[in-house]
Amino acid sequence: MRVVLALALLANPALAGVPEAVRDHILPATAQFSDASGALAEAALNDCTANALQDDFHATYDAWMGLAHLRFGPVEEDGRVLAISFWPDTRGMVPRTVAGLIADEDLAVEDPASFAEVSIAGRGLSALERLLFEPQLSGYIKESYSCKFAQALSVDLAAMAQAIDKEWRTDFAQVVTSAGAEGNATFLTESEAAQALYTSLTTGIEFNADQRIGRPLGTFDRPRPTRAEAHRSGRSLRNVILSLEALNSFAHALADGPTPQTDAAFQAALGAARELDDPVFAGVEDPQARLKAEILQQRIKAILPAVSNEVGVPLGVSAGFNATDGD
Amino acid sequence: MIPRRAFLGSLLAAASAPRLSWADAGDPAWLGAARDSSGAYLLIGLAQDGAERFRIPLPTRGHAAAAHPTAPEAVAFARRPGAFALVIDCVSGAVTHRLQSPQGRHFYGHGAFIAGGDILCTTENEIESGAGRIGLWSRKRGYERIGEIASHGIGPHEILSTPDDVLIVANGGIRTHPDHGRDKLNVPEMRPSLAYVAPDGTLLEEVVLEEDLHLNSIRHLARAADGTVAFAMQWQGDVSDPVPLLGLHKRGAAPRLLSADLAEQMAMQGYAGSVAFSRTGADVAITSPRGGRVHRFNVGSDAVQSLTRADVCGLAPAARGLVATDGLGGVIRLSTSVEPLASFSGLSWDNHLVAL
Repeated sequence: MRVVLALALLANPALAGVPEAVRDHILPATAQFSDASGALAEAALNDCTANALQDDFHATYDAWMGLAHLRFGPVEEDGRVLAISFWPDTRGMVPRTVAGLIADEDLAVEDPASFAEVSIAGRGLSALERLLFEPQLSGYIKESYSCKFAQALSVDLAAMAQAIDKEWRTDFAQVVTSAGAEGNATFLTESEAAQALYTSLTTGIEFNADQRIGRPLGTFDRPRPTRAEAHRSGRSLRNVILSLEALNSFAHALADGPTPQTDAAFQAALGAARELDDPVFAGVEDPQARLKAEILQQRIKAILPAVSNEVGVPLGVSAGFNATDGD
Repeated sequence: MIPRRAFLGSLLAAASAPRLSWADAGDPAWLGAARDSSGAYLLIGLAQDGAERFRIPLPTRGHAAAAHPTAPEAVAFARRPGAFALVIDCVSGAVTHRLQSPQGRHFYGHGAFIAGGDILCTTENEIESGAGRIGLWSRKRGYERIGEIASHGIGPHEILSTPDDVLIVANGGIRTHPDHGRDKLNVPEMRPSLAYVAPDGTLLEEVVLEEDLHLNSIRHLARAADGTVAFAMQWQGDVSDPVPLLGLHKRGAAPRLLSADLAEQMAMQGYAGSVAFSRTGADVAITSPRGGRVHRFNVGSDAVQSLTRADVCGLAPAARGLVATDGLGGVIRLSTSVEPLASFSGLSWDNHLVAL
């Protein structure tokens, strides 16, 4: 079976890089997220207080940045992407849902199955961030409702992460690498899997520029620093850096050959990010600091043509025909 | 306003039956525009089983086609702001007529036949004022322009006709000007509507959504046999806003908006590309190529099922259920899961699939 698969891969340039991306990028990332969130859940059951959980929260969020861009298959199953991180929250649903659960002392926190039915705006890293980092909420003590809430959030995150890892390992890796085979109803042709991976790569790059940086930038007349992702826990810029690092390794694995332009473009963006002494993009209101954030945004956008040349073209795939040009 | 004599004259002329029928074009079930791997554009006829019945080259990227109700003839519209539409004989593949939008007008990409297929109605922009117009063309006179009426809104996009020749128009509300390509010039003030218009231009009924949804551009339409109209919307606010993208309307009643759960609604990215009812009218669905999803609602219970498929957009009724097309060349039957009917390697299906 393995020999047959390997031969099929040699014969077909459309699949080149797909098995490597699964093996070298995706499966390590799902394992890392599962481990980190498992440690978070264990820590929460041991000591639920905010101070005790903040390090494990960061480790879990760091790990999520390794796979948050894989918005297809197990990561998007059951609305998991938003249940893990509800952002952007354009309607202020996370604060409202978290406050509502606490005010009602909602019993859903007592049981993982019930908690999985809670609104996605009251689950995952976004809700947990509020409990752990919002001064008005984070002072809770053991045995309080918020303590049980933090435990439920952590256990729920670990359950989702485990499910993602398990589904990728036992099923979806095979679905991706057998694209176009008889009976594969997810990927009808060999190039469809490459297309799905490539789309998640380019969408992930755009998400950093347009959302993670674009939202706090707002407009020159109306910058929106409080719209930065995860600013309460001080990790807005850290998310950009970790995401770019993950996407660079993803591009590497998915590419059919060497990727010097792509690597240089990622390094230029990462260099701009690391030099930006503004962890939550608070400086977007100051013309000088704002310019630096805009430069970072441009550097990230400049990765896309390189990725198209070195990853997309050799794979024979490009951005979605309808998705990018609707009417 | 159609000159009365022309209108009656074309009605009478329709009595002389056309010689050829869709059977002569291989009885396709659907028409779809597509791009092939060489970058060429095509109009393709598909049978119920997904097999290709014909393939006709198009000179430029198509958007939608209006199929004649009886004759094997399709009008293919260029993407907006297009100045021309082509009448294609689907038996021979020949372009039999070329419709040029009049001075100061351009097409918006959709059209519909009335008067038993004798008059073609096209959504248009009166460029100077931005007012939506419906152009009227007589098929019997070789698709001569015979008049135009108001669409009663800005940016009319899809248009449908009922068996008793009422025009149903999706006035998207967005003003565009050819000098600015596809730029949206009036988003803060936009006021989309669903308009029911008589062929003489009378506004019979108008549906406008609540003020907090005025950024929801009503663009695509479907109609069930019982007269229920489904309208699909494209949100011009934040793509992450969980707003409804599908509405149902019956004449004389208030519209009813349908949504999936929060995660699914946000996954649509504020964009519905096509809408269709199943033949029975029991199900209605919308596609989002940006979210890679189809949301299918049961009209009676509002129960919704989400099906994932990358770059899915074209959508039409099938003999049983619904069929969708996508940018990866797939022709997909939508049942409890996605069932591939056919896969056209190298082909990208464009925005719409038209049922015959």
